[in-house]
Amino acid sequence: MHLLAQDLVNGILAGGILAVVALGFSLVWGIMNIINLAHGAFVMLGAYTTYQLFTSFHVDPFVSLPISFVLLFVLGYLIQRLLMNWIARAPLLTTFLFTFGLSLLVVNIALIVWSGDTRGVTTAYSGANFTLGDVTVPWAKLYTLLAALAITGTMQLWLVRSKTGRAIRATSMDIGAAQLSGVRVTEIYAIVFGLGAGLAGVAGTLISLSYSLHPTMGDLFLIKAFVVCVLGGLGSVQGALIGGLVYGIVEAFATQLDFTIGTQHISGSGLQDAIALIVLLIVLIVRPRGIMGKATA
Amino acid sequence: MKRIGLGGITGNPGAFAIVLGLMVLLLAVPLTHNGYVETVFRNILMYAAMAYGWNLIGGYTGYVSFGNVAFFGLGAYCSGVLAAHGVSNLFAYVALAMVVCAVFAVIVGFPVLRLKGHYFGIATLGVALAVADIIANLDVLGGSSGLAMHQLDEAHFSTYYYAMWLVALGSMLGTYFIARSKLGYAFVAIRENEDAAAVLGIAATRYKIIAWAISGMMAGSAGAIFAPANGFIDPSITFAVDSNVFPIVMTILGGSGTVAGPFIGSLLLAGANELLQRFFVKAHTLFFGAMIVLIVLLLPRGLVWLFGLRGGVRAWIKSVQVYRA
Amino acid sequence: MKLRPTAALGILALCATLAAPSVPVSAAGDTILFGSPVSLTGNLTKEGHLTQEGYELWKTYVNSHGGIKVGGKTYKVDIKYYDDESKNDTSAQLAERLIDQDHVNFLLGPYGSGTSFTVAQIAERKKMPMVEGNGAAEKIFNQGFRYTFGVLSPARRYLEGVLEMARAQKPAAQTVAITAASDAFSQEVAQGAAAWANAHGMKVVYNNKYPDTATDVSSIISALKQTNPDLILNAGHLQDALLVQKGLREQNVMARAYGYSVGPDTPDFANSLGKDANDVFGGAQWSDAVKYKGDPGFYHTAPEYAKAIMDTYHHRADYHNAESTAACLAFQYAIQRAGSLDPEKVRDALAKLDITTFYGIIKFDSRGLNLYKPMVVNQIQNGRLVTVWPTLTADGKPKYPAPPWGQR
Repeated sequence: MHLLAQDLVNGILAGGILAVVALGFSLVWGIMNIINLAHGAFVMLGAYTTYQLFTSFHVDPFVSLPISFVLLFVLGYLIQRLLMNWIARAPLLTTFLFTFGLSLLVVNIALIVWSGDTRGVTTAYSGANFTLGDVTVPWAKLYTLLAALAITGTMQLWLVRSKTGRAIRATSMDIGAAQLSGVRVTEIYAIVFGLGAGLAGVAGTLISLSYSLHPTMGDLFLIKAFVVCVLGGLGSVQGALIGGLVYGIVEAFATQLDFTIGTQHISGSGLQDAIALIVLLIVLIVRPRGIMGKATA
Repeated sequence: MKRIGLGGITGNPGAFAIVLGLMVLLLAVPLTHNGYVETVFRNILMYAAMAYGWNLIGGYTGYVSFGNVAFFGLGAYCSGVLAAHGVSNLFAYVALAMVVCAVFAVIVGFPVLRLKGHYFGIATLGVALAVADIIANLDVLGGSSGLAMHQLDEAHFSTYYYAMWLVALGSMLGTYFIARSKLGYAFVAIRENEDAAAVLGIAATRYKIIAWAISGMMAGSAGAIFAPANGFIDPSITFAVDSNVFPIVMTILGGSGTVAGPFIGSLLLAGANELLQRFFVKAHTLFFGAMIVLIVLLLPRGLVWLFGLRGGVRAWIKSVQVYRA
Repeated sequence: MKLRPTAALGILALCATLAAPSVPVSAAGDTILFGSPVSLTGNLTKEGHLTQEGYELWKTYVNSHGGIKVGGKTYKVDIKYYDDESKNDTSAQLAERLIDQDHVNFLLGPYGSGTSFTVAQIAERKKMPMVEGNGAAEKIFNQGFRYTFGVLSPARRYLEGVLEMARAQKPAAQTVAITAASDAFSQEVAQGAAAWANAHGMKVVYNNKYPDTATDVSSIISALKQTNPDLILNAGHLQDALLVQKGLREQNVMARAYGYSVGPDTPDFANSLGKDANDVFGGAQWSDAVKYKGDPGFYHTAPEYAKAIMDTYHHRADYHNAESTAACLAFQYAIQRAGSLDPEKVRDALAKLDITTFYGIIKFDSRGLNLYKPMVVNQIQNGRLVTVWPTLTADGKPKYPAPPWGQR
């Protein structure tokens, strides 16, 4: 019984990180209709920003959160404003192709700058933990989860309350009507893409506490972001959070599956990806627009 | 959306003629008696077949699939299983792969093709990853260690090249004739407006499943020949991210929804990758990425578009500006 | 400029360039050209670089000592590299390019089991001898390949040393938990460890795998913790070792010893984890503590080799360096003994090779595998790598059992 409780905690802690990774990806996709394959590369840049600040200036990862956000926001803003704006009206997949090239570019520049060494951010509180009954909770991951919740909460509030946030939501609903009511779409797009990159940077910072850094690290998280944001519902902040938590919990519980049929050993942890993806398919069949999306297509 | 200079439903006829001519030229590749050159072009043909498969569902029908690698992998494993049972006939490999992929497409298609747009895309990605993961855990298929296959000796190795050439040609001509038939018009109608198509009496679900199944058969056939030509298959090779992304990238780069586009895209991308790798041992991936970024900015509608442009550089500059926000 | 004809011409030019006949690089007849696809980009970049360093160090030594004597004529050596992007199929394609386009005389292996396997297939088909030092999966050697030789101990041996060591300590480790990544190499390591433990009266209380793309293994660790093992083993690569070690620490999992197939040997492991890296064990193909006295023709001892690596590349000699250099040495002696550059003759000489080097004995069984060189066990003690097993080789005593987390 206590193993199930421990798995629930493991799943929630892992899911919080996935939620932040998926959040920026989901916003860019849902609002701008851009599938940003460079999102993983941005996550990696956020992680290396934290690493660099931590090793060179002893900046605590949680203090470097806003720095990662701002740096990546500016990068994303400029990429949209200076480059992707040229193809803003081209078909959806043109931008997809662009971000594919961009991702290769960024990863390989990182490989030159930081080399292929695997690195880690180890703070004084890395590995510290406390127990609640039989369940062990690592502090760093708990802080990470709290940060993830705070970030998604702030994002949601900002999108609903602020003027820019409202303009962004208006643009995603009806771009023509938004333009008529005075929204400068070019500017809004640059802000949203910047926001996506900034949130990727934040995700990278949080990941650097539990995962090791390598220029190619973003790819693994990108694939999970794809699944998480669709699981929860595209373009939705709550959707990313719920999707991340569900994904994390499903993977954690999958580990308990362990039996043998004939000579074939079925290992739930070996199959954890397949199990999570089958859950995704079932969710989509029942709710074609994700858990938080409308029930009908 | 304006379709500047893309020609009719099959795309620019001049570009198609050039591509057909190139295919004939490619028959001569084995005459170089250089195994490596043959491998390079065999891979180009393989990617072309996969790109044609993707083009049918993603380009013509407008359902962007991120999971066509599932068919490629299934096709490869069909060959692997047949080879393990002593079958070495390439036609048998392709036939089984086509049947298995079509059946798989129909079974998976019913739930998955109900989904719209991006949700469909991710569901297909999920299917591909799940299939790969399940195969990696099945001992009968070699698990993550994979299956080794007997290969033809060096003197007869070109057989694989010709087989792949046939698969690519079949995919290309198949696309051409499908595009010109009632089927093609139904696909395009679904792409442009699914609801309107339904009003016109096009049974959208049925046509989507047909497009998806034919798409799968093309990718599966490529996989079926890849397996013996490579001599070894495992989940990481047959379900590689590259085999998933490259055909999409190649189709868009060449020009999606055209008959010439996927081939031109595969030739250019695989060819450029090859040359960059030859001359820039360390920085080739960097340049490769930069090249794609540049091409997208300069030719947002793909290379085939270049063939439809009249009036030289000026017309081109003017046309690029259309896509600026 | 008319765009249409230009585009058509461009495509034709591309095709022509791709199909163009090749000019051999070593037109000069006094150089032996080796070729190797190594990982210079992608996720195995680091290991690829270590491999390349091992090859380059040998090349520099041989060329500065006159070259290789083959039947009365002296040859310089050169090595042509391509980047396989850490991808199995790319590696094979590049091997084919090295053989058909660059006309290399011999192949040196790439980094990794997956790549070595696909390249071995090309070598076999082209009848091109290859010696590899970085693909330990035994499946490479179970295909009946005639042209592939591996200088390293096979995957199943990687954790045997740790098991043997832990069993000999007091209090002896009696129960073992094994976690393994899903790739072929890691699976072979795990199977080997489980088989050894069972055969020697130890009890495997937990044995499970996870996808090699996992970004979180905490639930596996929770399950493992419940079995309360004396010895915790992980079969995987550096990234796995870091993930598992962090997870064990976070969930406060106490065992008498912790062993990794790959990881502790790379400085990245201790650099990333700090104090939490201390006291773990790692299987290694070689360490600078091994006591062989090599045949003439290269650095004789491990310390001499380690010094050369330090002088040239400014880091501690890694076993990936050593096994890569050893692959070159196998060629060096085999070519000399064959007295010819003929691929068949060199292959036969490789099959009959029996030499001692700074790296250990190099001698191949009928499958091309070097079963005659034992592995060693290293332990990180106060941030420093110490060889602790086998006792004859050791330059330190194992620290056992491990102190509680936070006191390391």
